[in-house]
Amino acid sequence: MESLPLLSKAFFVVLFGTSLRASTPLLLAALGETYTESSGVLNLGIEGIMLSGAFGGFVVALFTGSLLFGFVAGIFIGLALALITGFLTITLGVNQIVVGLGITILASGMTSFLFRILFGTRFPILPVVATKLRIPVLADIPYIGGAVFNQHLVVYLSLALIPVLHILLYRTSFGLKVRAVGEAPISADAGGVDVAWVRFACLLLGGALAGLGGAFLAIGDLSFFVSNMTLGRGFIAIAIVMLGKWNPYRVFLGALLFGVTQSLSSGLQVLGVNVRPEFILMLPYVMVIVALVVIARHTLLPSAFGLPYRRGEK
Amino acid sequence: MPQMRRYVPAINSVLAILAALATGGIILLMVGLDPVKAYYELFSRGMATHLGITETIIKMAPILMVSAGLILAFKAGLWNIGTDGQFLMGAIVVGWAAPSLVGTLPHGVALLVLGLLGFLGGLLWAVIPAVLKAKYGLNEIITTLMMNFVGLNVTTWLVKGPLKDRTVVPPQTPVIPLEGRLPHIPLTRIHIGLIAGIICLIAIYLLIKRTTFGFHLRVLGENRKAAIHWNINVNRVTILVLLISGGLAGLAGANDVLGIKGLFQAEWNPGYGFAAIPLVCLANLNALAVFPLAYFFSFLTVGGELMSRAAGVPVFFVHVIEGLMFLYFAAGEYFQKEMG
Repeated sequence: MESLPLLSKAFFVVLFGTSLRASTPLLLAALGETYTESSGVLNLGIEGIMLSGAFGGFVVALFTGSLLFGFVAGIFIGLALALITGFLTITLGVNQIVVGLGITILASGMTSFLFRILFGTRFPILPVVATKLRIPVLADIPYIGGAVFNQHLVVYLSLALIPVLHILLYRTSFGLKVRAVGEAPISADAGGVDVAWVRFACLLLGGALAGLGGAFLAIGDLSFFVSNMTLGRGFIAIAIVMLGKWNPYRVFLGALLFGVTQSLSSGLQVLGVNVRPEFILMLPYVMVIVALVVIARHTLLPSAFGLPYRRGEK
Repeated sequence: MPQMRRYVPAINSVLAILAALATGGIILLMVGLDPVKAYYELFSRGMATHLGITETIIKMAPILMVSAGLILAFKAGLWNIGTDGQFLMGAIVVGWAAPSLVGTLPHGVALLVLGLLGFLGGLLWAVIPAVLKAKYGLNEIITTLMMNFVGLNVTTWLVKGPLKDRTVVPPQTPVIPLEGRLPHIPLTRIHIGLIAGIICLIAIYLLIKRTTFGFHLRVLGENRKAAIHWNINVNRVTILVLLISGGLAGLAGANDVLGIKGLFQAEWNPGYGFAAIPLVCLANLNALAVFPLAYFFSFLTVGGELMSRAAGVPVFFVHVIEGLMFLYFAAGEYFQKEMG
């Protein structure tokens, strides 16, 4: 043990490494939800989509022996649930909160039900170890190197998505349409933008990323599935989007903050600090509330947030 | 057909239930289970046996209380999704206070005090979301949800640590003696929590329909700008509504500890909130329509457990049905609007 245990190398590697990994499901879901919310749709169903992605990803990876198929399954399940959400909220224009909670309740029941049907009371663990991609030179940087540049492929993918999605939202005509549809759907419609199409596109992007995030949680970060394992991560992702004010870079910082709080438990265990586990487990949720109060009070939501749009109706 | 139109919401809810049961049947077929056997066991054991009927009516009490709180909040346009955390807080306060109170105070007084304590426990857990909503406009959906997870961990810590009964191994509060629990309604095995639940719902119904406060909260729910324009103290209404809503969930916690469980146990979370949210929506936020639906949802829970043993259908199937009902109900809203 070194004289200052807080600065010990093991602590840093564990803390940063697990933080980055733990924040990846959140980051993916929050990046997608950034688009969904910008276009004026609140998708409370992403909690359910993440859970379904976790379940589908785990089952497919277990039966095919391939993580890649598991991730693809997560994406497709996310797309399918987003399609149902879009049909109800965009096409039919019914209450987004009701639909989102409905999707979440359905996903919670359905995944537990199917898991029991498939595995009974057994809890299988994925035999394939998550394949890490070690980037040669960079991984040798002391402290950070081993943590940041020795990660799963999906972690790099989610990091690469941040600038891409930022440019797409703030530097392209598609991004302009997304924001216009969220702020003033009537004007956007008058300007020739297909409001329903843009919202569908954002919802599907959000669904795909939340599904992938859920799959990563089950088969990338961990290697098993348990009932309701997302533990509110979808809802935290929604809060992170509000904290990040629809800016993918700030959304990343928010996700990382919660990754840090979530992985504090493993970091503190390395240090040998003895804190009641319940206090560590509740930390991310307390952090959400505190961060919202400090950063996001009176955040201006997109003007048409949560409202359905139908031509000819106010 | 003006008389017909009154029944359209009810028809929508009934259709949503039937569509969910039909879809559930298809799901059972797809996973290789026999839907006819499953539904036969569900309905015959849940609705046609003495055990099923009694258990169903007993389990209605907490659902009625939580639903009463949700109707109040949803009518005001406030989405209190945190009833599970509020329930647990009310339950643990009662689990902690009951063993010492029931011996010292007269039984009736002790039960009243404990009911009040449960209410306060739930109310306390709604204070932070309520104040943050009123003061900073922070989205109550997010804050109440987060408080659920905090509440789950706080109660787990309390029951494993400071409030644990040191004389037994499992993490739980001391067992409340049988004579200290809720008395039964004469000639039945049903305890008086049911009557308390009915009173709560009727009180909420009257509060919403007959009082100025109820009028104010309805205006707030319909149109926030109008509420401000009408000089309604929006912050006061917001805070009061969320606090009462949390209190009623806490009262349900008191009911379950005093009437059903007799103690507070770690890892115990019946999750009434996620059943009651679809329920009150299916009831179109009408307190009186909650009664038949609460019976039906309680029947699903009780019958679902009996069915899982008899027909080998996992209990989670009930939650699948609840989620489906909610989504079909939402879809039905569209057609209701088109027809109306």
